Amino acid sequence: MATNSIKLLAPDVHRGLAELVAKRLGLKLTDTKLIRDPTGEVSFSIQESVRDQDIFIITQIGAGVVNDRVLELLVMINACKTASARRITSVLPNFPYARQDRKDKSRAPITAKLMADMLTTAGCDHVVTMDLHASQIQGFFDVPVDNLYAEPSVVRYIRENINFSEAIIISPDAGGAKRAAALADRLDLNFALIHKERARANEISKMVLVGDVTDKICIIVDDMADTCGTLAKAAEVLLENRAKSVIAIVTHGVLSGKAIQNINNSKLDKVVCTSTVPFEEKMKLCPKLAVIDVSAVLAESIRRLHNGESISYLFKHSPL
Amino acid sequence: MNNIVVFGGSSHPSLVDKICGNLGVKPSQVKLGKFSNGETSISIGESVREKDVYVIQSGCGHVNDNFIELLILLNACKTASASRVTAVMPYFCYSRQPDIPYTAKGAPLISKPKESYTFESVPGTPVSSMTSTQAPTGPSHDALNAGNDTENKKHDGPTNLHQPKPVRFAGDGAIHKSPSQSRIPMVPERKENSSELGSLFNANNAGYKLWVAQAGTLVANLLTTAGADHVITMDLHDSQFQGFFDIPVDNLYCKPIAHSYIQYNIPEYKEAVLVSPDAGGAKRAASLADALGISFALIHKEKRSQLPKGPPDASLTSGGGAAISGKPLIASMSSLALNSQEMKTSGSNSRYVQTTMLVGDVRNKTCILVDDLVDTSYTITRAAKLLKDQGATKVYALITHGVFSGDALNRVSLSAIDKIVVTNSVPQHKTVKFLGKDRVHVLDVSQIFGESIRRIHNGESISMLFELGW
Repeated sequence: MATNSIKLLAPDVHRGLAELVAKRLGLKLTDTKLIRDPTGEVSFSIQESVRDQDIFIITQIGAGVVNDRVLELLVMINACKTASARRITSVLPNFPYARQDRKDKSRAPITAKLMADMLTTAGCDHVVTMDLHASQIQGFFDVPVDNLYAEPSVVRYIRENINFSEAIIISPDAGGAKRAAALADRLDLNFALIHKERARANEISKMVLVGDVTDKICIIVDDMADTCGTLAKAAEVLLENRAKSVIAIVTHGVLSGKAIQNINNSKLDKVVCTSTVPFEEKMKLCPKLAVIDVSAVLAESIRRLHNGESISYLFKHSPL
Repeated sequence: MNNIVVFGGSSHPSLVDKICGNLGVKPSQVKLGKFSNGETSISIGESVREKDVYVIQSGCGHVNDNFIELLILLNACKTASASRVTAVMPYFCYSRQPDIPYTAKGAPLISKPKESYTFESVPGTPVSSMTSTQAPTGPSHDALNAGNDTENKKHDGPTNLHQPKPVRFAGDGAIHKSPSQSRIPMVPERKENSSELGSLFNANNAGYKLWVAQAGTLVANLLTTAGADHVITMDLHDSQFQGFFDIPVDNLYCKPIAHSYIQYNIPEYKEAVLVSPDAGGAKRAASLADALGISFALIHKEKRSQLPKGPPDASLTSGGGAAISGKPLIASMSSLALNSQEMKTSGSNSRYVQTTMLVGDVRNKTCILVDDLVDTSYTITRAAKLLKDQGATKVYALITHGVFSGDALNRVSLSAIDKIVVTNSVPQHKTVKFLGKDRVHVLDVSQIFGESIRRIHNGESISMLFELGW
């Protein structure tokens, strides 16, 4: 009998999000084993049959060993493919190399495109991701890509945790203006913009504020917080402009390098990240960090994908 | 050399310099690094438009980082309108197909990494626990005394010294003492508890036979996807690997340099024996032996479910080697349980015995072990031990890719190998530092790679590289 059910797979590290998703779907993660050679090569085995099943591989890619995670994912996808899975969906909340999406210099690699090609080559049939740095990355794929939004979850968080009548939404750069404006519209708030000039990657030089933030709770909204240099500097600029307090809400809290130090030393009251990137250990080091759980969105999208239902509902609503 | 651009990855800069030196070009400008979040960043400092690009990256060090760096480099060159992009991988990572041997219940024979070991436990000691006629003084002593013994025995009578006989012995409880299979991937430390492992494969889900993903095709496809038009590598572990690619793969051999090393550096090499440590490498060793015109021996590993019958002393009268070492050759094996869990559940039925047979005569000879890859070094150290026990005077190990992961170097340094000869397809500074200059000789493969790049660039045949000695 052909049964076609969901199988959830996750690599052996950072299983937190995958376990939450599994719990919400009432499933267990499939028994798998990732074996790392002493040389660093990985091999992978699945302890259950996946023949004709609907596979979802949930991978959280944090800062640090990105390439290891990517190669593990590729090996996992390929393993499922050769084990005759019906459909393989990579759930990559934080898409790796999303910022290398264009040829910004001569001979620069478009690594996001390479990642897309690699996933397809390995045998991935569908990709679910969240708040892509550039939504054009969807076009790099030959397979369907569902770009979920963290916005509904963020809206809920702001409504529940922040006195938002006094708040103003800030975009820390011109690129994020659209995202911030959309959020401001949803909450019926004002919106301001910080213009920054970036000299090199991970470094900022100058910042100019456009808009009035006097006596407001500023909510900086961004898709990614890496070293948090931008956020810390933005907070300073906002407080110089007589803001009451500054909170940052980011989708992907990569928090690499000196991020924790930067946040602790900054004037930010709080940095809220979604659970797309694992940063549980960092929360112990930094009391200013808070988390928005997005497992509900992912679980619901997996359920809908499996049943062939529309997932556009999730673009506006946050499931409980 | 017009229109040629050579980039080096971060894995092995000294080899890149040597290859470029052979080609008479300079390595092209490329900045390799990482963003703060761990993503690889590269920027190419020279135009590659309509150029013939070679990217050199060995699959060593941090394998995954280096492999992805290679893919990004290839892709960057391709998107920057290079006319042809060639991946040069002196050591091809993921070329071993991971194979996990199974027990009757479908549980993989995975051994836990050991924290400490002694030389004795490394190559399964061939001393029988039942030998009572002679008190063995220990295997290392035997190896040393082997010569003297031979002198004595010669007077005793005909022991048909020159008839090679298959010699069989089994490690004494070797499997649970030390990982017996050299190429089994290790389980990470997390699975410390073997009962946890056992419970995964208990009778309830024994119906589904565990299998391991084969990364070979995947790696080949990834290289093609990234934009490689051509791949150059050396001594691929499986020559079938070439079939995974849709693009041409040139598999170079280090045989010519190995050949000339043996000819010029091993005294009286005509009397030496080339030994393959496993059946998989037999062809490689045999072809080298043929080229040199010297004899060849093979070490064969076998897993048997039954203990060989008969009293252990029986072989004393017949085996030539036995007479010399003064020990029963079919050592009576204490039954080897694959793991303790397995023993409890299945009782005496699933008792396996690992036997190792040496086919060929090595007595009083110099032995040259030939293998393409040494990673954990279990195979090669055990083989060296066996050869010494069988009376070999000196053991050389001739290896193409010396990866030496984990505590492999430690193991090699304690082993019976007298000299390691290894190529620089993987950086060998650590090996030389650890084992000392006298015990390690590094063969330079840059000339082979340089010449093949030159020929491929000029559209000449490279097949003569396989025959020509260096």
